[in-house]
Amino acid sequence: MAFYGLRLIANPATLLQDEDQNLVARAVVSQDTMAFGELIRRHQSQIRNFLRKLTRNPDEADDLAQECFMHAWDRLQTFSGRGSFIGWLLKVAYTTFLQSKRKSKRYTEVLDEAGYAAQIESRSYTQSTDEISDLDKLLAVLTQEERAILVMSYACGLSHREIGEATGLPVGTVKSVIFRGKEKIRTSFDIKDHQHG
Amino acid sequence: MAEKLKDAEDRMLESLLQSAPIADDGFSHRVISRIRRRLWLRRLSLPVAMFVGGAIAIKPATQILVASSKLMTVVPQGMFEIPTGWIPQMQVVVLGAMLLAAAMLGIRMLEE
Repeated sequence: MAFYGLRLIANPATLLQDEDQNLVARAVVSQDTMAFGELIRRHQSQIRNFLRKLTRNPDEADDLAQECFMHAWDRLQTFSGRGSFIGWLLKVAYTTFLQSKRKSKRYTEVLDEAGYAAQIESRSYTQSTDEISDLDKLLAVLTQEERAILVMSYACGLSHREIGEATGLPVGTVKSVIFRGKEKIRTSFDIKDHQHG
Repeated sequence: MAEKLKDAEDRMLESLLQSAPIADDGFSHRVISRIRRRLWLRRLSLPVAMFVGGAIAIKPATQILVASSKLMTVVPQGMFEIPTGWIPQMQVVVLGAMLLAAAMLGIRMLEE
């Protein structure tokens, strides 16, 4: 990462014109929360949208997005500056999502032992069935991994290499997951027929 | 999707998966406030720990000093030269260190 041209006190007017890499450098070197705030303003929409599609719950997604940015602040010095900052942020967001899933799985296991899980599941199902959209139906046929990779590729515009870096998977695996996901969508929604008439 | 040409299916997936931008609505402010709070907690933790540790240690430390000074009186005279006004001065030193830590923290706050 290049740390040249650093100013200890951030000027809000210049922050808007700064590139992501410069803002990261400022945030790392002088613990500049204003620079990091500008990074959040720039990328919060993409991160929240990404997490909303993974969780399919806006409130949970927003909580996770907050956690994601907190983790990002803690690990900011690990951003090498080689790839795009949004790619790195999506990696943090995906890790945060997986961690929360692991935690909630443990929580469900504990509840299950106590006999509460079935009640909670049926409650959340009745809440969500009211608002099922085409997107929800589409996302529902995909596994967690497929959903994340397809969203990174089609909604966030990440390259296969960037997705590989974000998920820790080889590029070949990313490609096959995308292929598999598309295949599932095709068979579930009969897309070919729809396209041709 | 720069790797390959987009077909109709890719375009359909893009249009389905892409969403309208979400307005910030104080989101970034909430995150930054949390980060600032945490930064302050981290910065405060060391001086507070020093202060609490010092407050806890001051009594046993003085007791040890008193005991050791009594022990020194047993030792043949002239072996060690112990100034008698030494023990209360130690408390002043500890207090001074605490005040110094607090002053450094204050300066840091002013810098922020």
